[in-house]
Amino acid sequence: MGESPGLTPVEYLDRFFDELRAEVRSNPVLAARLVKALGGNVVFEDAAKADVASPYALATGPKANFMSVFGAMKLGDIKKVLKENNLASRVDMNGKSAAQLVEMMYERAAMKVHERKSSMF
Amino acid sequence: MTALTAAIANLKGGVGKSTTTVMLADGLAFYYGMNVLVIDLDPQANSSQMLLTERGVQAASDQGKGVHHVLASFMEGKTPSAAPFIMPNAVTLEELRRAEENDERLGWISSLPSHPHLRLRELSLEEEWYSRSGTPTTLSDALARFFREAFEPLLPLYDVILLDCPPHLSPLARAGLLLADAFITPTIADSVSTWGTKQFSDWVGKFIAPDLPGRNFVVVTRFRDTKYARSVASDLREIYLKDRWFGPTIPESIHVLNAMDRAAPDSYDTFRGKYAGVSSDVRRLAERFTDFMTQRTGGTWAKVRD
Repeated sequence: MGESPGLTPVEYLDRFFDELRAEVRSNPVLAARLVKALGGNVVFEDAAKADVASPYALATGPKANFMSVFGAMKLGDIKKVLKENNLASRVDMNGKSAAQLVEMMYERAAMKVHERKSSMF
Repeated sequence: MTALTAAIANLKGGVGKSTTTVMLADGLAFYYGMNVLVIDLDPQANSSQMLLTERGVQAASDQGKGVHHVLASFMEGKTPSAAPFIMPNAVTLEELRRAEENDERLGWISSLPSHPHLRLRELSLEEEWYSRSGTPTTLSDALARFFREAFEPLLPLYDVILLDCPPHLSPLARAGLLLADAFITPTIADSVSTWGTKQFSDWVGKFIAPDLPGRNFVVVTRFRDTKYARSVASDLREIYLKDRWFGPTIPESIHVLNAMDRAAPDSYDTFRGKYAGVSSDVRRLAERFTDFMTQRTGGTWAKVRD
């Protein structure tokens, strides 16, 4: 790797990490992907949860954990998660409260995980 | 009026057989109010999963429904009968469900589903048959006779029976082809699919249907609008399969993938909610296939929805 004239190695790498930090701050989806790749476990702010929380991944654990993430979401975000994860159609969501939708999300995500996860595990 | 039986088949895998089956079933039931029976002969059970969900496929099997149970009755020497093995409700569209609820059925879909156990059942049947000096050909002929007799009383109940066939020529798959009045061939606009389609077409023409061209409806699926794909699709129509009926070209679309992932056995969606950006493609597929059916059967079907 070539050297950049006038910069120390730390300053040189700082420029890269500053760019990465800025992108992660504004892009929760990328942040979630990076955290996942690194194998870490972090807490995202409520506003970002609808973009990054996976109902399938959370349905593999205790229901209380699932509810603590999705139960706190606003109705619009819950609907967004349901739609983007193919867990409900508009028709299915019509007339349901946030609590009913989260319950439906859990039941359907848990059912799909059960049906799709290899029994070898 | 008796049902037209159409086999959705191609020896090339991954060309959209199951997706085309479900889109066609939905399109014919929704736009023309047809009564459609989907028979899934593929042990991968993809179209069954799309219509019923994984849970629904398993529940159907547990209730004694499915092609593998029909095979069991064949193996046990029972009188041919299909009705007990059919799931009478495989509707995913809200409009069809609501019309039924209001006692004005305007299109319906039933399913004789598959299950991954089907392949095991086929294998044990084949072992038994061959141990008695039977051959693959005599087995497929015997299965075709059994299925034909089993479905005979049901033909007046349906407008169209769609047979979703696997991408191979097992005795059961061949029996499905022997039952067909028409052959729907999904293919992709690339060289390997074109060659695979030619191989399949030649085989069916030689062993199943010498008059294949007039009975063949081709659908180019998963179409990416590139110069190369346009050229291959054009060659298919103008050169390689020029004497066939062609349906509309179905674009490759994330909507199609999403549309096929039913959320739960009790989940329904409107036609436009389900198909979104490909709604007009599904409509054109239904229109074009209805023209093909009219040409084949002399029957006519009027649209019940726009």
